[in-house]
Amino acid sequence: MRLFLYQLRGELKKLFSRRRTYIGYVVFLLFEAVLLLVFQLEHSKEEMAELLTENGLAFGDYYSSLTVTYWVMGFSMFMLGSIYFALVAGDIVAKESEDGNLRLVLVRPVSRLRVLLLKYVAVIIFTVTFVIFVGITGYIMSVIALGFEGGLFVWNYEMKVFAAYPDWGEGAGRLVMAALLIGVSMCTLSTIAFAFSCLKIKPAAATILALSVLFVDFVLLRFPFMQSYRDLFVTHRMSNWVYVLENNLSWAKIGESYAFLGGLNVTLFVAGWMAFQLRDFKT
Amino acid sequence: MLEVDGLRKSFGGKPALQDVSFAVREGEIFGLLGHNGAGKSTALGIILGIVEPNAGEARIAGVSVQRNRRVALRHAGAIFESPAFYEYMSGWDNLKILMSYSGGFDAAAAREVVAEVGLADRIGSKVGAYSHGMRQRLALAQALLPTPKVLLLDEPTDGLDPEGIKWFRDFILKLRDDRGMTVLFNSHLLPEVEQMCDRVAIIRQGQLVYDGDLAGIAEERLVLRIDAEPLNQAQAVFRQFGGEEAGDGRVVFPEGTDAAAIAKALVEAGTALRELRPVRRSLEDVYLEVSGSPEPEGGRSQP
Repeated sequence: MRLFLYQLRGELKKLFSRRRTYIGYVVFLLFEAVLLLVFQLEHSKEEMAELLTENGLAFGDYYSSLTVTYWVMGFSMFMLGSIYFALVAGDIVAKESEDGNLRLVLVRPVSRLRVLLLKYVAVIIFTVTFVIFVGITGYIMSVIALGFEGGLFVWNYEMKVFAAYPDWGEGAGRLVMAALLIGVSMCTLSTIAFAFSCLKIKPAAATILALSVLFVDFVLLRFPFMQSYRDLFVTHRMSNWVYVLENNLSWAKIGESYAFLGGLNVTLFVAGWMAFQLRDFKT
Repeated sequence: MLEVDGLRKSFGGKPALQDVSFAVREGEIFGLLGHNGAGKSTALGIILGIVEPNAGEARIAGVSVQRNRRVALRHAGAIFESPAFYEYMSGWDNLKILMSYSGGFDAAAAREVVAEVGLADRIGSKVGAYSHGMRQRLALAQALLPTPKVLLLDEPTDGLDPEGIKWFRDFILKLRDDRGMTVLFNSHLLPEVEQMCDRVAIIRQGQLVYDGDLAGIAEERLVLRIDAEPLNQAQAVFRQFGGEEAGDGRVVFPEGTDAAAIAKALVEAGTALRELRPVRRSLEDVYLEVSGSPEPEGGRSQP
């Protein structure tokens, strides 16, 4: 275990020594700032006020840093997170294979499974911590723009979630749980890209394939006749983090979704490992 | 120390190795030669456990790579033609990461090896700023750090300048002399192989066509440079002794042929004999004889 942690430290060091890793952080910060500016526009405020008052809630109580953080986090993960995580995870094996670094690793007394497991754990740590980073920075920026006070208002039409938390503490607690679950959801995206990365393909191909799978899944889910099968769609399951924000919290519903995603992740990892194990790394 | 037994490998139905067997003795430098695509790198990949053979086995220090890869590879260090490191990290960090896969990093041992390969001044610099020669020195360091018994070198001097090649050659010879290191040297550079190796094996189109002692190559067959006229009469004498013309006035006779008897026969046949002198057969001669014409992509083999 100690050696595994030492090797994992090396994997994380590789990941965080790349300049482009930090480019991702900067891009997300800029994106969050832009979203925050959009929420500050009069038109956005009017829309939010309309939505709140129509549901009997006071605009002043819920147009807050917590509510804006919820929107910023959701939007940035949906629009940029998917691309960014697919890029990083699609790269992690395929790039080293393409560059030839893997040869120097695989000629050492270490199993291929262990090499893959280390890379996978590194990707998972990166994914979850990145989502938490986005949540924290989103909240700090929102506090700077809107102040500390206010409750949390959640509205997700597709997932049929509508909730309001007038108490800051409860709202903040739910938002922290939501951030963690978004992180776990995003791990599925990273796992899909990782599995493709284990094949003998270019890093860009692994990223594109992962995004294509999710895009097809996302589009098919929007077909009306697919609604009865929506529990079988990955993107639907990935969106189930929002259930943690419901007033009547159902851990069974959330647990079922994350068990589905967990099973899918294990299956994808094993499939990637099998493909990786059978590959010849010709010099 | 290193044995390869009945290796077979095909890629997409095309045979890359066909029943290749050879053995490298402890403390010797063994050269593996062949054209591009002959199967040398495939053989090396199988020995290092990164290519799975269709049949056969490679053993390092008596341990089968195919059955017990992790134990077998504890005894091996490897260098590839273009060693790929993490460019954005320092040489030192690269060593730390690579050594973590060999069981752990010993900073004191690493400092010693880095000094030995002459990289102490630049080990803290990013690998992206290294020259090809420095990368090869770093490759040597990472291969030597786990204190292997066998060193496998895949065209390590390709792209090095003459000083770099000489340094590398001297270093490998020193490893053999001082530490008794066993080395498998895969190269196109015949003069390098000739200067470094004790024995060689030549692979042609996936088949082993020569495996022998380098020192004995010159003595195996008699090569004479002969200038005699008229040519047709001289050629009749060559045939009488089983000689084959090898161009440039050289005639190759079977082992044990007496040069004096040939000279006598040529004079008795009425030829004007201007020159008859033995020519030492080089590794290049042997290589070209047994490996035949290079493949179209084999332009890197020595002329």
